[in-house]
Amino acid sequence: MSTIPAIKGVDETQATQRARTPGGVIHEWLTTVDHKKIGILYITYALIFLVIGGVEATMIRIQLAVPDNHFVSPQVYNRLFTMHGTTMIFFVAMPIVFGFGNYLVPIMIGARDMAFPRLNAFSFWISAFAGVLLYFSYLGASGLYAAGSAPDVGWFAYAPLTAKVFSPGHSTDYWTLAILLSGVGSIGTALNIVTTTLCMRCPGMKLSRMPLLVWIYLVMGGLVFVTISPLTAAQIMLTLDRYLGSHFFDTQAGGSALLWMHFFWIFGHPEVYVLVLPAFAFMNEIVPVFSRKAIFGYPAMVAASVCIGFISLSVWAHHMFTVGMGAAGNTFFVFATMVISVPTGIKIFNWLATMWGGRLIFATPMLFSIAFLFQFLIAGLTGIILAVAPFDWQLHNTYFVVAHFHYVIVGGILFALFAAFYYWYPKIVGRMMSEKIGKWHFWLFVIGFHLTFDFMHIPGLLGMPRQIYTYEADRGWGTLNLIVTIGVLFQAAGVLVFVYNLVRSYYVGKMAGPDPWDAWTLEWSTSSPPPDYNFAVLPTVKSRRPLWDLKHPEDPDSDYEL
Amino acid sequence: MRNDEMTYGEESGSRAHVHSAEGVALPVPTVWPLVLALGVSLVISGMVTHWVISALGVILVGRGAVGWFLEVLPHEHHATVPTVVEVIPVVSTRGIRAHPAVDEKHRKLLPIETFSVWAGVKGGIVGGIAMIVPATGFSLVRFHSLWYAANLLAAGGFVSWAGESNEFLSQFHPLGLLAAFGIHALTSLLVGLLYGAMLPMFPRVPILTAGFIAPFLWTGLLHSALAVISPILNDRIDWPWFVASQIAFGLVCGFVVNLQVKVRTPQFRALPFSVRAGLEGDLQETESEEP
Repeated sequence: MSTIPAIKGVDETQATQRARTPGGVIHEWLTTVDHKKIGILYITYALIFLVIGGVEATMIRIQLAVPDNHFVSPQVYNRLFTMHGTTMIFFVAMPIVFGFGNYLVPIMIGARDMAFPRLNAFSFWISAFAGVLLYFSYLGASGLYAAGSAPDVGWFAYAPLTAKVFSPGHSTDYWTLAILLSGVGSIGTALNIVTTTLCMRCPGMKLSRMPLLVWIYLVMGGLVFVTISPLTAAQIMLTLDRYLGSHFFDTQAGGSALLWMHFFWIFGHPEVYVLVLPAFAFMNEIVPVFSRKAIFGYPAMVAASVCIGFISLSVWAHHMFTVGMGAAGNTFFVFATMVISVPTGIKIFNWLATMWGGRLIFATPMLFSIAFLFQFLIAGLTGIILAVAPFDWQLHNTYFVVAHFHYVIVGGILFALFAAFYYWYPKIVGRMMSEKIGKWHFWLFVIGFHLTFDFMHIPGLLGMPRQIYTYEADRGWGTLNLIVTIGVLFQAAGVLVFVYNLVRSYYVGKMAGPDPWDAWTLEWSTSSPPPDYNFAVLPTVKSRRPLWDLKHPEDPDSDYEL
Repeated sequence: MRNDEMTYGEESGSRAHVHSAEGVALPVPTVWPLVLALGVSLVISGMVTHWVISALGVILVGRGAVGWFLEVLPHEHHATVPTVVEVIPVVSTRGIRAHPAVDEKHRKLLPIETFSVWAGVKGGIVGGIAMIVPATGFSLVRFHSLWYAANLLAAGGFVSWAGESNEFLSQFHPLGLLAAFGIHALTSLLVGLLYGAMLPMFPRVPILTAGFIAPFLWTGLLHSALAVISPILNDRIDWPWFVASQIAFGLVCGFVVNLQVKVRTPQFRALPFSVRAGLEGDLQETESEEP
């Protein structure tokens, strides 16, 4: 080990200049095995699907805005909500968290790339082709077989609706096979994240010094292993049912529709944590930096993350309280679901304790983070409500449930992702995003979000079922649904402002420099954007905040950490 | 010297990304993962389109796999990327209006010594045993039976016992005793564990906190939630006796914790060596300092 003399410094290394012809650029991106480029590919791909899924959501909301509406046909409506749900979970949320993980995990642990760079590229491309396959169903499912179009069985595709007799043609097969393919990509990326974290940390970075983001991605990777497997098994069984006449889910021939529900939700609920854990990870990095304090309760945060990982595997059947599991089953899943609020609550309190007494900076990443804290708390509280089995019997499959999980996914995960974009964009691109436009984005989206999802709870409480095509005027849901739809328009405007900010800042944003936020983790110790190799020479760390130690040699964290 | 908290050194053990004087060796870009992914996707897509698509996919899978193997066998292909190192000072962009004097006690978190979590668990186990005495006393005084309290506790786990009479609950039921034992043991352990985890917050007076404060908090919590957890227990519970049992649990638990040896927290490391070595200073005085 040699140490360069001027150790109070960062790598400011210029990436190798390459030929920048269009063909060269395309070739470079198609053949890359660099974790940063693959991360960007994941994120870009997810953003494209976010816009597609957003358009579908807008069409759904227009259809429901007023009673007795026929903006789209019932068949198209079924396809819209199926494709919206599938797209947002499998082709937006998963790729985008994988994208950030790809970009950040190696660079935050002082590594030069993922453990398996080629597998990383393979994982991205197979996920990308899965999305293409899913949307090709709009052409292929009817084009070649004249039996339907895109999938229309809902994003959880309950049996026996997916049986050949109820879903002829290939629309459901497109859904099944696309999910199957994307699962392969997810497993590959999770394998890379776990292996990289365990085997490629820079000297001095013990597990107890690892950034919380990396800890959480480690837990998330483990969860992906456990949860994608039953989903993949279920997809294979469904394919066997549909192609070869097996009877796993065929209730007329001794199969079980409940079996599908168990397989799907033992994936489906931990999947929520696969997505929300990275949101927690972003909070763990952003909240301290914009509070100018170290994270409160690091060991408790690690323990809570690991606990969430384990407990989340034992809550799936709270999606199934209405199927008649019996008192013992219901009681177990009620308690398991409630127990998971304990480690989650620990996190919320620790973020608040981190902010408490800090010198808060209300930059755009922090605004989104604060909104996340508030909204995720509300989402958790409605989750507790739904965890009570008798209450769930009343509200199951109503818009209350839809509002709850959108509060989690939009109010929690998407807000955290926006915070992450504003926080790490300067590192990824080398330029700052506009704060002014960012605040426009924030306020438009906050207003839109609350108009939509606060008001969406009420028709649910009044009995409006999810996936309903339209409703009669005398139900009393009309005004509420109109407000919900108006909120969507605000959100759509917010997203457009966000995309504009992304593009505009790429060309004219202020130069960021290596460390624009005065932050403390390793990614800020290299240039923005980082060179291909991340670090010309690998760092050695002695605390959880290596850049703090460099900036404050008179008072380093290493004196206070074990 | 402090300024080596993060140093940059040459990588020593990584096979994949070796750093040399000329630059850093990184995996060469390759198209084969993309080809293989496309091939697999086409094989699958053939199931919903046409077998020719699958056939094309099989060809691409073969070519992609061979190409990939040749990338890594017998040796992984690397390209050396030249590096240029420019060192710039790392400075905080935030101004400091008043720099506090830094001494050894700066940023210290208290306490320096506390009880371990296991002390709380041990306290919970012994307290749980002690709690049986007043609970059984309640059974004997009110129902002239040793088993009433145990059966009442167990009834929370047996739906069929919800409407049973006091006479039934006063009789001996092996299953009830087993269930009560399980519920009581688990609860005692968890309460002890929770107490142990909270001990660093109030390490000085375990008997007071465990014996009086915790029982009233716990009783308040249960009073509000018992109707949901165990309706039968909620209907028939005698709260004064319950509080007495809790106090018995807490006093014994706190007494057992008090017998345990305190352990030093990580903050002990921040103390000057002379204090840690016992040559000067006293921990009691340090504990009263503000961080």
